Amino acid sequence: MTALLSIRDLSVRYRRDGVEATALKGVSLDVEAGERLAIIGESGSGKSTLALAIAGLLAGDAKTGGRIEWFLPASHPRLGRDIGFVFQDPSSSLDPVMPVGKQIAEVARTHLELTWPEAYAKAKTLLERVRLPDPDSALRAYPHQLSGGQKQRVAIAAAIAAAPKLLIADEATSALDTIVQAEIVALIRRLVAEDGMTLLFISHDIALAATLADRIAVLRHGELVELGETGQILDAPRHAYTRALLDAHLGLDAKPLLDRQGTPA
Amino acid sequence: MSVLAVSNLAKRYHRGGKPFAAVDDVSFEIGPAETLALAGPSGSGKSTIARLVLRLIEPDAGRIDFEDSDFLALSGAALRARRARIQMVFQDPLAAFNPRATVARVLDDPLRIHGIASRAERPRRIAALLERVGLDAGLAAHAIHEISGGQRQRVAIARAIATRPSLIVLDEAVSALDVSVRGQILELLLDLQRRERIAYLFISHDLGVIRAVAHRVIILDAGRIAESGDARAVVTNPQSAIGKALVAATPKLIRNRP
Repeated sequence: MTALLSIRDLSVRYRRDGVEATALKGVSLDVEAGERLAIIGESGSGKSTLALAIAGLLAGDAKTGGRIEWFLPASHPRLGRDIGFVFQDPSSSLDPVMPVGKQIAEVARTHLELTWPEAYAKAKTLLERVRLPDPDSALRAYPHQLSGGQKQRVAIAAAIAAAPKLLIADEATSALDTIVQAEIVALIRRLVAEDGMTLLFISHDIALAATLADRIAVLRHGELVELGETGQILDAPRHAYTRALLDAHLGLDAKPLLDRQGTPA
Repeated sequence: MSVLAVSNLAKRYHRGGKPFAAVDDVSFEIGPAETLALAGPSGSGKSTIARLVLRLIEPDAGRIDFEDSDFLALSGAALRARRARIQMVFQDPLAAFNPRATVARVLDDPLRIHGIASRAERPRRIAALLERVGLDAGLAAHAIHEISGGQRQRVAIARAIATRPSLIVLDEAVSALDVSVRGQILELLLDLQRRERIAYLFISHDLGVIRAVAHRVIILDAGRIAESGDARAVVTNPQSAIGKALVAATPKLIRNRP
């Protein structure tokens, strides 16, 4: 494996309510080209800050230390062209007053130097690839005319429009119901495989991350506590916090908290 | 005897000029100290049923009996008095409270509005409520926005139990919590149920959580009951198409050496 990017001793501090808060502390990891890497953690773990730092989307007043080195032909990766980013809430990442076809075509036109007709043809192909029913009418649809799952499919189409090397999905399925979540995860898996993209899958849900990831990185309070192959993380976690996360998961085979005499255990 | 009995409940909305049934002919009962879960995909009617049961919205048809009286027939002072017995906890406690209010203020309101404790008595009652949900009484002076998400959900539960309800509607009440906090909140809810015989209408999209804490479950699809039964039996062996789809879509944590 060759590295796509290398993160060394990354620290990020924000000012919040006049107080300086540390979001990431000395995080070092390599993202291998073509791998599916999950970054998991609870609220305040720094997982979204890490995603934003990699995408170059940190707020202007964030203070950063350390470095992120990319192994790409272009010295500085560009969001949209080299990195596709899918956010949790497609309603806020899509423009509510622009037809979705135009939003996807705009990405293709900007980064692939296509004419508008070419970009629209590309947008239609992308809507087919993300399995939106009736792509011709979907091109002209506005975001509010689509369901939450359909909007996320559009956001994914826009994110991959310029064939980025790296796709970052930041809690991209957390606002969706269980069935739609499974469909979107399957879509991401298929697109990443078809295009040979590298995937960074940011999630609070270790079980969901494990269904998709080759490796899992566990963050807590801004620090990387453990990074390993998915099987190793699940079967032989080295860090007590990883074990605690696994034990707190309430799966369909977990020990019920309630006994069956009808009273809580 | 049931705490809540819902019969043939129906609620229609209009979407894009066309009527659609958000809730269609739904009937169920909840007994004292029982947890009935409502599961189903987005738009299946879970939260509409919660709002109907709380009388935040009125049904187009059907009957709701709460503590053996016709809940839909109540109005004015009688409705206000009965409302003290049915409480709610929502997903996001920050949205449910004025963020600048203090914890004490949030808990003072139900005690005052429902005439449960005199002004002189209320600080002691507030301290007792905080203690009951596992919080330090010193937290009373803090603003809602200053405390953690788990603490806020404990305050929401303290407010819900302040009026000694027989039923609490929990609408995705643990869905936004970190998993490490979620277990503690579920344990607290079970402890309150055991000690005070509170019934829960437990709305969740998460079958793992439902299986862990609910006695029975109803799986909804497009406003109708697709199947219902013992929570563990339904999750283990769903019969309806939507039940099977929900179980299949739930991420499984497969550990070879747990």
